[in-house]
Amino acid sequence: MRKLTSIDEFKGLQDRLIADQPSDISTIIIPAGTCGQASGANDIIRAVKREILAKDLSTNIRIRITGCHGFCEMEPSILIEPQGTFYPKVNPKDIPRIIDAILKDSVVDELLWKDLSIGTTIAKQQDIPFFKQQTRTIISRSEKVDPIRIYNYLRSGGYRGLAGALDRGEPKWVVNEVKISGLRGRGGAGFPTGLKWEFLAAKKGDRGKFLVCNADEGDPGAYMDRSVLEGNPHSIIEGMLIGAYATGATNGVVYARYEYPLAIKHLLIALRQARELGLLGENILGTSFSFDIDVIKGAGAFVCGEETALIRSIEGKMGEPRQRPPFPTDKGVEGKPTVINNVETWANIPVIFEIGAKEFAQIGTKGNSGTKIFSLVGKVKNTGLVEVPMGITIGEIVFDIGGGSIGKAAIKAVQTGGPSGGCIPVSMFDLPIDYDSLAKAGSIMGSGGMIVMDENTCIVDIAKYYVNFLKDESCGKCYTCRKGTQRMYELLEDITEGRGTLEHLDLLEELAHVVADTTMCGLGQTASNPVLSTLKYFRDEYIEHIIDKRCRASVCKDLVGAPCQATCPIGTEAWRYIAHISRGEYEEAYISIREENPFPSICARVCDHKCESRCRLGQSGDRPVAIRALKRFVTDNVDPSVYKPKRSSEKQTAKVAIVGAGPGGLTAAHYLSLKGYPVTVFEMDSKPGGMLFSCIPAYRLPQDVLTKEIEAVLDENITLECNRTLGTDFTVNSLFDDGYKAVFIAVGAQKGRQLDLEGEDAEGVLPSIEFLKAFNQEGIQLAKGNVGVIGGGNSAVDAARTALRQEGVEKVTILYRRTQEEMPAFEEEIEAAVQEGITLETLVAPVKISTEDGKITGVEFQRNQLGKMDSSGRRRPVPMEGSNFNLPLDTLIIAISEQPDVNSIKPDIEGGLEITRWNTLQVNENTLECGRSGVFAGGDVVTGPNTVIAAIADGKKAAVMIDRYIHGEELRQIEEPKIPKVYVEPYPIDEDEQGEIERVELPRVPVKRRSKSFIEVERAMSDADAEHEAIRCLRCDLEFTTPKSEEH
Amino acid sequence: MINLKINGLNVSVDKGTTLLEAAQSIGFPIPTLCHKEGLTPYGACRLCVMEIGEGDRAKLVTSCTYPAEEGLKVRTASRRVLRARRMIIELLLASSPQSKTIQDIAAAHNVKQQRFRQEYEDCILCGLCVRMCKEQMMAGAIGFRGRGQDRSIGTPFDIKSEVCRLCGGCLYVCPVCSLRCTYNQPDKAICGACANLSPPCVEKEPFDDMMCYMEPCVACEIK
Repeated sequence: MRKLTSIDEFKGLQDRLIADQPSDISTIIIPAGTCGQASGANDIIRAVKREILAKDLSTNIRIRITGCHGFCEMEPSILIEPQGTFYPKVNPKDIPRIIDAILKDSVVDELLWKDLSIGTTIAKQQDIPFFKQQTRTIISRSEKVDPIRIYNYLRSGGYRGLAGALDRGEPKWVVNEVKISGLRGRGGAGFPTGLKWEFLAAKKGDRGKFLVCNADEGDPGAYMDRSVLEGNPHSIIEGMLIGAYATGATNGVVYARYEYPLAIKHLLIALRQARELGLLGENILGTSFSFDIDVIKGAGAFVCGEETALIRSIEGKMGEPRQRPPFPTDKGVEGKPTVINNVETWANIPVIFEIGAKEFAQIGTKGNSGTKIFSLVGKVKNTGLVEVPMGITIGEIVFDIGGGSIGKAAIKAVQTGGPSGGCIPVSMFDLPIDYDSLAKAGSIMGSGGMIVMDENTCIVDIAKYYVNFLKDESCGKCYTCRKGTQRMYELLEDITEGRGTLEHLDLLEELAHVVADTTMCGLGQTASNPVLSTLKYFRDEYIEHIIDKRCRASVCKDLVGAPCQATCPIGTEAWRYIAHISRGEYEEAYISIREENPFPSICARVCDHKCESRCRLGQSGDRPVAIRALKRFVTDNVDPSVYKPKRSSEKQTAKVAIVGAGPGGLTAAHYLSLKGYPVTVFEMDSKPGGMLFSCIPAYRLPQDVLTKEIEAVLDENITLECNRTLGTDFTVNSLFDDGYKAVFIAVGAQKGRQLDLEGEDAEGVLPSIEFLKAFNQEGIQLAKGNVGVIGGGNSAVDAARTALRQEGVEKVTILYRRTQEEMPAFEEEIEAAVQEGITLETLVAPVKISTEDGKITGVEFQRNQLGKMDSSGRRRPVPMEGSNFNLPLDTLIIAISEQPDVNSIKPDIEGGLEITRWNTLQVNENTLECGRSGVFAGGDVVTGPNTVIAAIADGKKAAVMIDRYIHGEELRQIEEPKIPKVYVEPYPIDEDEQGEIERVELPRVPVKRRSKSFIEVERAMSDADAEHEAIRCLRCDLEFTTPKSEEH
Repeated sequence: MINLKINGLNVSVDKGTTLLEAAQSIGFPIPTLCHKEGLTPYGACRLCVMEIGEGDRAKLVTSCTYPAEEGLKVRTASRRVLRARRMIIELLLASSPQSKTIQDIAAAHNVKQQRFRQEYEDCILCGLCVRMCKEQMMAGAIGFRGRGQDRSIGTPFDIKSEVCRLCGGCLYVCPVCSLRCTYNQPDKAICGACANLSPPCVEKEPFDDMMCYMEPCVACEIK
């Protein structure tokens, strides 16, 4: 490389390089930053080179190795220029096919990126949603250059901004341009860069001035600076050169993390090349301007990213912040005036001089111009670096670019700004991302880390994690930062380990405010953000940890114990009965189930088994233990009489009324009766059982099982009064008049929601609840001919499968507005329905019901396509114009949802009961209290249609609350954590044996025999299968229990 | 001269005067632990915080390190200042309850209890000894090591310093009376200034072969 001695010479070289560039030859671009190399980019590079050499293609195909392009999730990836084809997760084996395709100017379809929600492939990078919605001014430059080849950078227009500035010869103009661009510091605080430069330019330069590039990127989960340094180091050098020219700085320093070896290597190479070419050092491009840059490696302290600590670290002293003022522009490195800017800020400078300051100011919003790179990580589909214009909303980044939640769990919050930032809840995802809005919401922009959290993330644990990080990374100088973070950690630890009290919360909040108030540097001042922002938006979760001793995300070990037990709404010790089954102790197993659940046989058939969703076996890659099936095995094989309920010897005199004999009402009655209360249960139907009886079809839950279990619960303390309807035959008010001391309302949700379409009152159109009730209670068959069921929940599937079994039904179709994956019904139910021959029509919505003589003849549907993500993280169904089609129907069953019948409650509104806008009863969810003292409510009447187990849980809770109410005790009390307490000796197996066993599936009656009959579809397990299944359990409980012999 | 307002009073001070000096010059009592005349202000204990600025821009700064600025409005005992100061005292009491100095400050601020888990630490890392050693004794034998909760004061690699002259300056300035210089032979102890009635060191392991600053007092046991 020959040293360039004038600006003209430079321009000549650059023009020549650009002219020499062949434009029609395809280039294979391989991103090989640290992330790419870690996922195997080096193998890809080798494979591509080998293929090119072997087939002698070096004149036909070029190869360029670059830094990261941002889509880290899909690495190792390949980008083909000029076509723009993108191949994600490339295997070296596929390289020959890809190269063949390039030569034929086509693509290898099966290797392209696939949109899983639609199932189609997308060839061009710019069409992929992840890239499409970004404005990639900085990252896209990394695609154009090989970081270790300066000619590559020159060819892409590099150093043109510097040459232009030198040519113009007016440093003041340069400062002014940066001011006009409105660029604000990308390190997090957002100080206007131009202003900072102006301060420095105004300082006397006789003793020298410093420019520093802060590349001490230490936030967990943030790596945009690394990626820019690795992928385009010359852009930083050019930015600093322009800055030095503008401000008269003489020395430059890049302070880079020691943990970024590749970035440092590329930077050192780039510096050497720039020096050789005369772009750095004495008399740059033959002018009188001189400037050189040193690289200093940070030793790994997070606090050294703070500018005053960074200065001390550069000076070789301990990285410890000092009081500002004096600001670094007055007194910086070695006491000389200094400007410190972040990597991304420097990378923006060449952009400003390339596109023009005014143009730059147009990007983003007023006061927040330009783009910002975020590293989007966590529980989101597309992780990687995302560059967006300022002012875009969080929701757009998380859902549109990030693709929403990675699994089925809904997204809960996003943490911005690293340890010093805060958590922003999903309800605030409309917040535009700029320095000021984020600060207002209690977070910070920070350097741009963005960690997405879903329901499996515990917010208290997250706060603890960050405070732990900060207590280690605080420099320790300020007493309140050092001790304050330690004490905050201690308080959070107490809360997550079950020792928390409400005083902990007050103290934590008070301390957090003082820490923010009394510390010197940015680290301490923002150290409280993780705590304060989570307290602000997720206080409920903290209180749940403290009072209910429950961690809803199943993260805090000491509160969760065994996840199966913690997730069960009634705290069934699943681990315990599974352990007993593995030892062949079936009676003990039954007793342990029955202690917590008065309806074990029912739950063994229809429970939505939340326990299985959190089973550690399932979360560690295997399939979860078939807990519900094991429960079924126990209840099928043990005589219920082995369980003798523990009755209180005390007799209570206070009478309790329970309205509704569904699972919730009967559970409350049962547990109140055990406590000695005389209970009266009022039921509007002729038989107890509620929805279990009227809506769940017999092929899922045989009626004799139901009847037996309900009869076993009714005892001498419980009086059952059937055919008595709330609101008509009696009111809550009249119950109190009759001497009842407390009332539990569990009347369920009995009214089907309507479509609000014309013709809904026609014959043949009916809500699913009416249809199911008519059949289950009285055997009336309302379906005939061609049947359509609108909805995607369990009641839709139940209605469809029941209809299929009725006489005169020819065909049944379930019509749902979203995709099959998003159907709320149980997966196994949908699967069984499809097996039985029911057609599933998804992404359709009804628009018109056609009738003739008051009878339905068909329904007009419109097809939906998937639109943008909504706040639940699901893609919104959007109607497609002109996609309407007609479906001839004889029966239309509407199963879109149910609501409580408000008429039953109306007479009591005066008494204090309140109805929400969803027509449900308003209760205090912690105590189940309604607006009137002594009245409690639970189950579907409060939640809307919900599961059986949720109703049972409410019934249990109501029994406890009513007992406390009658005794005049505080209703909400600090609970005991539900962690395993009983030791059950493990069944001896060796590990190989356990590893080989696969989950046992419950056998089903063959479709032929079942699709027209109501025999129970699921069959029981054999003894051997049950034992096999039981020993799959990882026995999470053993961590918490000790054998009797070892107890002290 | 620089003119500013402290608690509503007009004050004129020389350029370079700190807020602490300005407030003390007109008689406002400000508690300090890490401040000592003759040593560079450091701002570690945060006790001397004052509130400056107005409205949304109001903030707390340590007065020992903040230079007086023209027209500045300073409040030395606003609600915000007192809330912070009391919390700092609580933190101090929670960690170093045996220090007479800290007890006195707590008493003066009517802080009678602390709500954290009780600890018994000796050093509050105020750094007076470090600055004394370096700035007044011109030795620089001791310094800070580590960061965050691992921060401590001592010599590099815990090796006996060659520049230490056992002058005792470090313990003379120590506000919690824990850095007592005894060298590694208790009989050569030169400390006698400790007025702590129940020295924290009595309970601890016997003194081993280390620099005095590293381990708690043995002097207290040697009458």
